[in-house]
Amino acid sequence: MALTRREKKERRINILSNIYAFLVYAVLYIPVAVMIAFSFNNQRYNYYWNGFTTQWYGKLFSNSALINSLWYSIIIAILSTIISVIIGTIGALGLKKYEFKGKKVINNMLYIPIIVPEIVLAVALLIIFMKVGLSLGMGSILIGHCTFCIPYAVVTIKGRISGDNDTLEEASMDLGANRIQTFLRVTLPTIFPGVMSAAFLSFTLSFDDVVMSNMLAGARQSTLPVLILSMNKSGITPDVNALTTIMVLVIVTAMILNNIIQRSLKKKKGKI
Amino acid sequence: MKKLLALLLAGAMTLSVAACGGNEAPAEDANAEASTELNIYMWQQYISDELIANFEAENNCKVNLSYMSDNADAINKLTAGGGEEYDLIMTCDAYMESLIAGGYVEEINLDNVPNSANINDAYWVSKGYCVPYLMNYIYVVYDSATCPIEITSYNDLLDPALKGQISTIDGARNLFPMALVALGYDPNSTNADELAEAYDWLVKFNENVAAYGNAEQNLTNGTVSVAVTYDGNASWAMAEKDTIKIAPFTDDAIQLGMDLYVIPKGAKHVDLAEKFLDYICTPEVMAKNLGEFPYSCPNDAAVEAASETYKNDPARQFDYKENVFFQEDVGEALTIYNDYYQKLKVGE
Amino acid sequence: MSMTDQAAMPKKKNLLPKLAMAGPVSLWMILFVTIPLFYIIVISFMSRGVFGDVVYKPTLESYQTILDPTYFQVILKSLKAAGVTTLLCILIGYPFAYIIARKPKDVAAKMITLLMIPFWTNSLMRLNAWLLLFQTSGPVNNFLMNTGLVSKPISFIYTDSLVMVGLITNMLPFAVLPLYSTIEKLERSLLEASADLGANARTTFMKITLPITFPGIFSAIILVFIPSLGIYTVTDMLGGGKVLYIGNIIKNQFGSIRNWPLGAALSVLLILVTMLLIFIYTRFAKIEDMEVV
Repeated sequence: MALTRREKKERRINILSNIYAFLVYAVLYIPVAVMIAFSFNNQRYNYYWNGFTTQWYGKLFSNSALINSLWYSIIIAILSTIISVIIGTIGALGLKKYEFKGKKVINNMLYIPIIVPEIVLAVALLIIFMKVGLSLGMGSILIGHCTFCIPYAVVTIKGRISGDNDTLEEASMDLGANRIQTFLRVTLPTIFPGVMSAAFLSFTLSFDDVVMSNMLAGARQSTLPVLILSMNKSGITPDVNALTTIMVLVIVTAMILNNIIQRSLKKKKGKI
Repeated sequence: MKKLLALLLAGAMTLSVAACGGNEAPAEDANAEASTELNIYMWQQYISDELIANFEAENNCKVNLSYMSDNADAINKLTAGGGEEYDLIMTCDAYMESLIAGGYVEEINLDNVPNSANINDAYWVSKGYCVPYLMNYIYVVYDSATCPIEITSYNDLLDPALKGQISTIDGARNLFPMALVALGYDPNSTNADELAEAYDWLVKFNENVAAYGNAEQNLTNGTVSVAVTYDGNASWAMAEKDTIKIAPFTDDAIQLGMDLYVIPKGAKHVDLAEKFLDYICTPEVMAKNLGEFPYSCPNDAAVEAASETYKNDPARQFDYKENVFFQEDVGEALTIYNDYYQKLKVGE
Repeated sequence: MSMTDQAAMPKKKNLLPKLAMAGPVSLWMILFVTIPLFYIIVISFMSRGVFGDVVYKPTLESYQTILDPTYFQVILKSLKAAGVTTLLCILIGYPFAYIIARKPKDVAAKMITLLMIPFWTNSLMRLNAWLLLFQTSGPVNNFLMNTGLVSKPISFIYTDSLVMVGLITNMLPFAVLPLYSTIEKLERSLLEASADLGANARTTFMKITLPITFPGIFSAIILVFIPSLGIYTVTDMLGGGKVLYIGNIIKNQFGSIRNWPLGAALSVLLILVTMLLIFIYTRFAKIEDMEVV
């Protein structure tokens, strides 16, 4: 069957764009691949490739400090994502919709955590927490993380809210829905991709944060990035690579499983 | 702008009120009975996990280790009121004078740390406020297979043949002493003219530097042929590559830095902290630790008890060990050091 | 909501939703940003103790120090690097976000996750991986040597270009995510209508796609440019401590150099410069939403 010119063109564009996407992914995944490869490196610290071993995976499981710090990081990342996304979503809508005294100031304050090198806010927060008598630990790290996640969330979500939201909301309210119904059924679905992006960003920022956590971590437990940073003096041990490799594997497996489940659900639906 | 100021002021007031409230409530739970928790802040990869586990078992307690990534981290924690969080903090000799003057550290009752008698007094600064742990010679090592010249002094490091061939430790108070010694001045000079000369020396040095930090990695993988580094780190590099040798310095003195434990002001588990200090000063315990972390050690009895591998470690086989200097407090001159250091790194 | 609406509604009824929506974010910003910022401003006017701590004796010393041309140079250098990073991130990220947004929803969600996975590994580990890959005896140099393409290993690491690679790969999702969320919003029918009306792809893009996705571009620029101005781990690790941007200088004041007042003054300067840029940018781009004092 002959294809029309337009179809041919679309097909070509499709192939080209897939190649482009593949290349971008390739560059992003190169360091990950190297990291995984070096989890099999037979060397006390990862100086250079020195032969294959799987010993680090065994050592990893006896390194409770490393595993505990991973859990701690995950919990903190999840909590700060939830807090930041809730405050950020509501805040973005509020800041877009309402006029009030000091709104400009708040808008500008939102940029501060993005502009200022993290260390500056971290030092200031550390001193303030110490003065107020707040003990360092998960609470202080959460506050620190949310402080830079919220602005990112607000900026990302704001980009998604546009003028026609108002009309839709007004229509919904005119039809008798209350504010909360309107929010859940009308507002949230339209801005949902923005909320998702914000959640992704917040999780990533928090999970990978080192400066704020390093300053605000308490004595009992620190996050994985802080632990890795402190290895910088002597060198990063390959068991950290092993841990990261397992993390990547878990995420990828989860994605594939999710895929399979969704597909089988669809099939079942199709049969019925 | 006015609104911003008003907000800021309001914020400041809340802060000061909060601060007043906070100061009144320092938990003064005097430890009548033995503590069961010990919080230590120190370098990563610096103490054996096994020893910590043994200490926990012996004293029926939990040791929480957290790690710094920079000497400044420890100072930040100490000056921000670290006693609330930590019982022992690792810092280095150069800061001791200021830490004592600032009242940031507790006096240590050495009667409760009898094993500290094993520590060589020659290496013990500010005795009574700290207990030395391990020490670091900062010296020059090179890869005999690739290094184009022979290095017997700091001035050799300026040789144009070494362009992009040096990986060095960082920090104003580590770099300037090299230059000062090379120029024949006091390594802890406070003289502005001498420091200006040292700066010019470092500018030339900087041209040969490939990277600040990462010395072992760069030396073992062949990125550089010369490294200015600590003996403990050099030991690992030498274990990976046997062509790495210590530069045979003839006259220039090298820096010896001491890592030591202090008890921050207001620490909550002093009893356990003292027990821990005594524990790590026990010769057999420290000897075992040295097997895993082959740094130089001020604990003579421990060195005596250490394994043959440790004693024969090529990283410590050099004959100018006596020709060392310590970092001293330079007072106001530190600003000059830092300004020049900044300029060095920014470049013209 | 127009002014007349607002006036017509009873005041009390209007206050609650306003408070509930703008309240939390405002409170958070005041408590954890305004107050610390105020503290930073205060110490920037204080003296530096011998030990690097803050002595509460007012002085303008720190501000006199930053008049030194060295700092001006560093700021210019940092602005340039951040600018190039932003430009490249947008140029690479826009088509990428566009491709994702045109895919069916479930595929797009997977592609976004695929984009984020590398960032859930540790950034220091990823930076270290670049070093391991490109170092003198690393795989790339070994390959080049073994195939005889070069006779001597190339020094890739500790260069400005590697720092740039590190910056771009670290910042890319901050460009892609906001771009994706606006492009995704774009109605396909709108583009088809434009094409049916005879507009070519370029006109459609310039006249429809670009203007509609502009808020996304704006967010992307803010989210990439500003953080790359203050970032220092990338330059520290990939630049070998030789490449210094303003972020490194500020970090050093709070770290190894220990001059908090100077670090605070430099932060204030950085904030002012950035605010000025945002101000000019918003005026230039005619964006009403992102007002600056």
